[in-house]
Amino acid sequence: MAARAFTAIVGGYAAAAAFVSLLARIAPIDRAEATIWAMTLSFLVYAGLLLWAFHETRLARVTGVIWGLAFGSAGCLWLLGPAL
Amino acid sequence: MSKAASNAATGVRQSMAWIHGWLGLLAGWILFAMFLTGTASYFRPEITRWMQPEMDLRPVTAATAADTAVAHLQKVAPTAEQWFIYLPDARTTATRIFIRERPNPDPNAKPAPRRDELRLDPATGEEVTARDTRGGEHFYRFHFQLQIPHPWGRWLAGLCAMAMLTAIISGVITHKRIFVDFFTLRWSKGQRSWLDAHNASAVIALPFHAMIAYTGLITLVAMYMPWPIQANYKDPATFEKAVFGAEPDAEASGRLAALTPVAPLIARASQEWGGGAPATMVVRYPNDAAATVTLFQNSRDRLNARGGSIVFSGVDGRRLSTSPPPGPAAETSGVMLGLHMGSFAGPVLRWTYFLLGLAGTAMVGTGLMLWTVKRKRPGAAPFFGIRLAERLNVGAIACLPAGMAAFLLANRLLPATLPARGDIEVSIMFWVWFGLAALACVRPIRRAWTETLAIAAAAFLALPLVNALTTDRGFVRSFANGDWLFAAFDLAMLATGALLGFAAWRTTQKSSRPARKPRTAPRGASALREAVDAH
Repeated sequence: MAARAFTAIVGGYAAAAAFVSLLARIAPIDRAEATIWAMTLSFLVYAGLLLWAFHETRLARVTGVIWGLAFGSAGCLWLLGPAL
Repeated sequence: MSKAASNAATGVRQSMAWIHGWLGLLAGWILFAMFLTGTASYFRPEITRWMQPEMDLRPVTAATAADTAVAHLQKVAPTAEQWFIYLPDARTTATRIFIRERPNPDPNAKPAPRRDELRLDPATGEEVTARDTRGGEHFYRFHFQLQIPHPWGRWLAGLCAMAMLTAIISGVITHKRIFVDFFTLRWSKGQRSWLDAHNASAVIALPFHAMIAYTGLITLVAMYMPWPIQANYKDPATFEKAVFGAEPDAEASGRLAALTPVAPLIARASQEWGGGAPATMVVRYPNDAAATVTLFQNSRDRLNARGGSIVFSGVDGRRLSTSPPPGPAAETSGVMLGLHMGSFAGPVLRWTYFLLGLAGTAMVGTGLMLWTVKRKRPGAAPFFGIRLAERLNVGAIACLPAGMAAFLLANRLLPATLPARGDIEVSIMFWVWFGLAALACVRPIRRAWTETLAIAAAAFLALPLVNALTTDRGFVRSFANGDWLFAAFDLAMLATGALLGFAAWRTTQKSSRPARKPRTAPRGASALREAVDAH
């Protein structure tokens, strides 16, 4: 349960933050607008991940998907670098 | 629906009910406090005015207030680095000013002490002297900083807001009969009643609850979720410039130049904003050849709380720059901010906001009660977790209101000239709140409820009386003089006291009733929850 809660709360935040940041980075619209949309919608992504992390019974799957999304998105961002 | 699909739906509802229960419990006590103090904050300026009864200022136009404030500042700080002038409106009658001194050029000199914010009579520009108090600002700050050192209070509040958003989504999924529950409230049926009350308070104001949790997160989004800015910009200042416009950053020239009259600038800004009024005026390097005057639009007459800003030259009044028009995303986030704070709301909508906030407080409170009530098994001694939750429920639901009333009572009873009395008022709220909660722990649980609720009720009922005895704005006189703020405040305190008194009376009633067995097998969501709880 502790591992699941940690993945859900900390990992979910990291995954939501990295994923929406990646969307903000690659969205083909104005930079400032893309940034604000990502910030605004991030909490819904986080909420979705939180609920799913407690709903899905297979812990390995929860851990893999959430940390995979976090590190995958963060890795892409690191390769892309800031736009401006 | 096929059997497999129906099983999957039941599985989702079960896990969502489980998450809903635990999230609600763990964040519930803090959320209750955030909801209650946040609801009171819809009357932030009114509470401040009530807490300074000796101050009774007449409203003037923004231009007059700006002129008198500038005249005052020219006398006391003509060579400051920046003047911040917060202009009054119909609700906040005083002008607030804040002076930032120029840094001492000698790098070894001690930095000048931070000057206090001052309040001026907008008609004369004279400093107003009234009792020191945090006023409504205290409830407002507490509701997102929780009196915990920066930044931890805001992070904890954010975590609880996130829990609430998630609990609302899972609560809706758990719920099968959302429309029916709107009309269902069965009194005096133990757990059933708490479930009905929780459902009713949640469902009636569901759009409000969802909105307030989500938009609450948006108010501090730059702190909670700055990562998209990092992903796009090397320097976050570039983002701020793109969204809010460039702030003046020229250095002082060192040449003297008289400051331009500010009233015409306000008239021009108001024209540019289609009649909108400025809320804040920032003068940078007054009386210098590089002086600028920046006007920020108020959020009273618009849904988007992030108004525009215009920078004027402080020497000849030329318009130098303006904030860019917001794009769809900036507009959306500004409107979300406005919806949370409700500064655009007139009296009727403001009271509606207040009542919806109370419904949210009730939703959290009844949810907390439900958690303990449904886990108690008849005949069995409750285990430690339940007893702890019960005590924390008393501490949040009954003792916080008592603390809030004590804060208001302290405002009337402490001597007006007592040093640091504003801080003492705040300490009194927490001593009463936590002290009462600690005392309640040594009483049997039922007695603890009755006694703490009765104390809270008595404290609120005492407020109009104490106000009448310690000020010249008691109910009879304020009613006769048409002083509606004070009259309404007294009535609101009486209503709050009556509500708490009714709650205290209910706790004495129930103990005499025999425990009832449910006559019919529980159905729907509650059967599900019980099945889940049995694990």
